[in-house]
Amino acid sequence: MVSALTPGWERARRSHQITPFLFIGPALLVTAILAIAPTIQLVRASTRAWKLGQPLAQAKDVGLLNFERLLTGSVPLGHSLKLTLIYAGVALVAELLLGLGIALLIDRALAGRSLVVTILLVPMILMPAMVGMIWKLYFSQEGLVNWALSLFHLPQPNWYSTDFALSAVILVDIWQWTPFFILILLAGLQALPREPVEAAEVDGASRWQVLHSIKLPLLLPLILITATLRVMDLFRSFDVVFVMFAGGPGNATETLPIAVYRTTIEQQRPGVGAAYSIILIGMMLLIAWLFITLLQRYRTEA
Amino acid sequence: MSLAQPITGTPATIERRGGIARLGRARRDGSLLATILAFAIAAAFALPYLYMLLSSFKTPVDNIALPPKLVFTPTLDNYRAITENDALFRFLRNTIVVAVGSTALAMLFAVPAAYGLVRFRLRWREGIAYLFLVMQLIPAIAVVFPYFDLARRLHLFDTVWVLIVTYTLWNIPWGIWLVRGFIQDVPRELEESSMVDGTSRLGAMLRVTLPLAAPGLTAAAILLFIGAWNEFTLAFFLTTREARTYPTSIGFFLTHSGILWGEMFATALIGTLPVVIFAILVRKTFVSSLSFGAVKG
Repeated sequence: MVSALTPGWERARRSHQITPFLFIGPALLVTAILAIAPTIQLVRASTRAWKLGQPLAQAKDVGLLNFERLLTGSVPLGHSLKLTLIYAGVALVAELLLGLGIALLIDRALAGRSLVVTILLVPMILMPAMVGMIWKLYFSQEGLVNWALSLFHLPQPNWYSTDFALSAVILVDIWQWTPFFILILLAGLQALPREPVEAAEVDGASRWQVLHSIKLPLLLPLILITATLRVMDLFRSFDVVFVMFAGGPGNATETLPIAVYRTTIEQQRPGVGAAYSIILIGMMLLIAWLFITLLQRYRTEA
Repeated sequence: MSLAQPITGTPATIERRGGIARLGRARRDGSLLATILAFAIAAAFALPYLYMLLSSFKTPVDNIALPPKLVFTPTLDNYRAITENDALFRFLRNTIVVAVGSTALAMLFAVPAAYGLVRFRLRWREGIAYLFLVMQLIPAIAVVFPYFDLARRLHLFDTVWVLIVTYTLWNIPWGIWLVRGFIQDVPRELEESSMVDGTSRLGAMLRVTLPLAAPGLTAAAILLFIGAWNEFTLAFFLTTREARTYPTSIGFFLTHSGILWGEMFATALIGTLPVVIFAILVRKTFVSSLSFGAVKG
């Protein structure tokens, strides 16, 4: 029985059926509507021969033709899939290795760590549109990058060409997001328990042995979580690639997100674009599942 | 660890650090070379940004000079030119309205939800949190064209409202995950003792927990603000003229007579400066929030 003498928290516990929903429900409702409405639209559009500006209901039902076009038609899904994997894979490996190395280095700095961290925050928070635009200038034939290469007597490629455009985009991502790994892994390194490291040092372990047998295994869950987070952003990255090359030249930088734009706007085939979007969302769900599995395992360990 | 630490201190503190025998080792834990390299690397990452800052004060001729001019007569012409650009001013105003509006709207929904997920013993608590996370992962480019169609039908196309509302799909989940961590840090007992005194659940949240979590809530709001301020994809496709935001102004600098680099640099600098200042203010919570709370900053 609930009386005036019952403690407040006890009363709250008993009335728990409805109260939590008053707190969580509104947020769930708003986000669900914002997520489900476009998804329904995508599913409907992906089965129709739809023209932009035409009411969707009037568009002809073509079944799975839009998806078939992804595989066999003029819009090569395989190509964008391959580019997305190269783009995400190369950027991820480079950023992870550089980030880990630099984090280990900063961890051993004697002073000024917080200043270094503050400086490294900046690339990540700059407007992606501006980042793309400015690096496009730096990568031009007579730009800063090629000038720097000439100082070392290195070849100066045409970064705007089919062969090098994707590399330019990847290099920009490495500049902007290596700090992401540096900062998270540095925080992880500094939170490591000191006892195992000190014990190993007393036993005469070399710095490499400490790193290899103690620090890296302890850091592994964090490395995996950070890498998955980064992959999720790389797979849906649109703005910088769009501003720099918009998928071109030809389709040299046409990653999955760019393919959504190109089929929908440039080729005026939003039905095919919707099919692309559904595949993109499906891939995100797959990586999200991996991420959640990692996060859960790590949390129960911690 | 500071340089002087292993040498100074009472015998007791030296003992606590592992004794005299380990002093030399403790000192080798840091190194001068590592310090110098750390600063060199930070400088290398800052260079493209600093060069942008420098170039915003250059004349068009100086801006394309090679080798790049580090010594030049600075000019304010670029800044003068962009302050005279009415459209750019409107874009900036829209960006402020959209960033503030969408952050406020998202926090209004995210804070109670985060509180509920922390404080109520629900069976599906983790599941709901992960559901929010999955929604946060929806690629903007995948939903922007459906939004385009819906916005046209609802007569919201090219208004600040369409951006304020659609941004919450990402900002409510993101906000929940950020705020959740900060509420977890407030001891439950404080609330329970005030509820023993007859305060309601809502009262306990508003008067006990939220004031204690205020620094964290501020940091979360700043992070959402930064995201909304920088957002490009939705703003680019869901607006054309009236509601266009600052990040979509890049097209301005591509003219028939070439690219106006100086003005572009100046525009980029004005657009990024507020965000840089904000990020420095919240740098302590920044790292932990980047990792969905996997590390505490």
